[in-house]
Amino acid sequence: MQLRDYILRRLMVLPFLIIGVSIVVFTLTRVGGSPIGIYLSHEMTPDEVLEIEQRFGLDKPVWVQYLQWAKGVLSGDFGWSGISAAPVADVFPLKLAATMELAAASGLVALFLGIFLGTFAGARRNRAPDHITRIVAVSGASLPQFWFGILLLIVFWANLGIAPIGRSDATVFASINHPTGLYTLDAILAGSPRAFWDAIWHLMLPAITLGYGATAIIARMMRSALVEELQQDYVDAARAKGLAEKLVLKKHARRNALVPTITVIGLTFGFLLQGTITVEIIYRWPGLGRWMAASVVRGDQGTLMTYVLFTSVLFLIVNLIVDVVYANLDRRVTLGK
Amino acid sequence: MMLDTSDQKNFVAKVDDLKVYFNSKRGTVHAVDGISFDVYKGETLGLVGETGCGKSVTGRSFLQLLPIPPGVLAGGSITYNQQTNSSQRIETGSKPGFPNSRNFEFKKVDLLTLTGEEIRKIRGDSIAMIFQDPGKSLNPTLTIGAQLSEVFLQHRTEEILEMAGLGSEAPGAIRRFASQRNRIFDKWLVNLSGNRLTKSRVEKAVADLVAKALSDTQVPNPVKLMDRYPHELSGGMKQRVMIAQALACNPDILIADEPTTALDVTVEARILDLIQDLQQRRQTSVVYISHDLSLVRRICDRVAVMYAGRIVEIGTNNEIFKNPRHPYTIGLMKALPSADTARGELLAIPGNVPELINPPQMCRFSSRCAFATDKCKNQDPQLEKVTNSHSVACFADVAEISGK
Repeated sequence: MQLRDYILRRLMVLPFLIIGVSIVVFTLTRVGGSPIGIYLSHEMTPDEVLEIEQRFGLDKPVWVQYLQWAKGVLSGDFGWSGISAAPVADVFPLKLAATMELAAASGLVALFLGIFLGTFAGARRNRAPDHITRIVAVSGASLPQFWFGILLLIVFWANLGIAPIGRSDATVFASINHPTGLYTLDAILAGSPRAFWDAIWHLMLPAITLGYGATAIIARMMRSALVEELQQDYVDAARAKGLAEKLVLKKHARRNALVPTITVIGLTFGFLLQGTITVEIIYRWPGLGRWMAASVVRGDQGTLMTYVLFTSVLFLIVNLIVDVVYANLDRRVTLGK
Repeated sequence: MMLDTSDQKNFVAKVDDLKVYFNSKRGTVHAVDGISFDVYKGETLGLVGETGCGKSVTGRSFLQLLPIPPGVLAGGSITYNQQTNSSQRIETGSKPGFPNSRNFEFKKVDLLTLTGEEIRKIRGDSIAMIFQDPGKSLNPTLTIGAQLSEVFLQHRTEEILEMAGLGSEAPGAIRRFASQRNRIFDKWLVNLSGNRLTKSRVEKAVADLVAKALSDTQVPNPVKLMDRYPHELSGGMKQRVMIAQALACNPDILIADEPTTALDVTVEARILDLIQDLQQRRQTSVVYISHDLSLVRRICDRVAVMYAGRIVEIGTNNEIFKNPRHPYTIGLMKALPSADTARGELLAIPGNVPELINPPQMCRFSSRCAFATDKCKNQDPQLEKVTNSHSVACFADVAEISGK
């Protein structure tokens, strides 16, 4: 009851937050250069430039432009994507599917692997597994993604030649429909093991690059939280009840250690989102991140605004989910007070 | 050195020359250094001493709850006279016939050398423990009911299945559910249409046992309490829950490690009454660890005074409080306020507890003792009998001292 009220209240605030974010971003795109840079070239006469500006409403006051953009968004028109030469609304789902496949692969692996590694290390404090996990975690958290990604690319693609780049082998996927846009899922639906492995193979390096840092952060947090929880009295009390060590760890200590870790996982999501940009550029992954980066460099307002709008909504929702999970794990947390 | 009594058969546990050391960077800390005592059936034995004298370590040794490493069991044994008598279990509503009660004999086991699996069967079942701070001893993320039910799931699986109307033919998944040994797919297995009804019957049986255990500690509305979380309860209530949890399986021995230190005095009195009441009904032996002498005087049948990892004096309540023989015990009595102590008459024992790192062969109290002689500085006194039940470890003329 209380939980439902809290979620409703948060959802009601959501539109205002989105309006705020969109105003900030809309303003910023005006500071960083022409929002229609992509349509301009050196050969154009001032009259031609003026004509394009009029077409995009740039001759009107900024607030009118903003309102026009907002009106379009509300009616499902997200503008024209200059770099894709198509309406944003048409291209967006395809790019989103590509990014989601990558983010889900690395994110889910990071989530479970991070919690597992952290638990494994925390329960074996100061023994070999702990030290190994520490090395993995510290290196993962400190290697910059752009560096690590390029390193993997040099070794596995350029030198060894065993890893592909891009998202798929076009010849393998030529005969396969894309009802979901997630290539692995499409391959399963089409019943083609060859296409499935091709999709997985292409996913491997980008997912490792993207997930390594997140795994490291989650594992470190989980480990230190668990070490702290294992020193609490209730752990001894649970042992005194006759519980097996495995049960003490899984049912008592880990559950409590997850509470602070969940907060970090929420923050890691932002880290992941930001990481998709570098990783997609390095591996030529046709996703949202690369799309957004190109739109910034070349001045394509329609694409950029849609991206920012989407990620901010996504981020707000993820944070809401984190809060709800948090409150469910630890009943001492009272939401919305 | 050992305290011998004619009534040898009666002991539930016999601690013999227990040594627990802790390895530290500066040397070996002799936290418990060769202590021996018996725990008799149904008695309350007080273990008193200052912070760091080894009383908690002694208590935890009973259940192998010591941090090893850095701790080291350097020697000794704790013989537990296990009585697997079915009449003990009647109170929880069971019928004889489940594995726990097939043995009517006394079985002697050394608690220190039991394997992990063996000691787990004893923990919470025949020997239980109550901890100092009830606020920290309950898991904040689980309901009271969930935490209490664990004791029954661990030790009373057969009984639960029987109460749920299931015999030995209970499905494997249900059996595992009733003993907290769920495997990876059991979560779905127990919710299959064929199992769901039995599962809810098992849950009902567990809930009944938990409610019974809670109502024994006189908490109001035990059924409602089961769905609450620890932070919603007061300190006294939490300790009641801990007591219910500890006494759930009618243990032979209850180790109470300063159970009322974190509670205020009015609650303390009620908790003590509760422990005594339940103890008398169930013939439980209580090892009461405390630094509160007036409390120990009120509730304990026998008292062991510990100092720097040793027992310096042990005897009945009367012997210790009316006729203390060890200078340390006498010093403690003088530091104890009572209604007829005049203002300013409370005395402190001068000096500090010596470091327990590689202690030399001498009386450990000698540096603070007003009666210390050269002998005390060169030899280590052992517990010597004064009466059949009263022993003291001191070279000085105890009669002369206590005459003062």
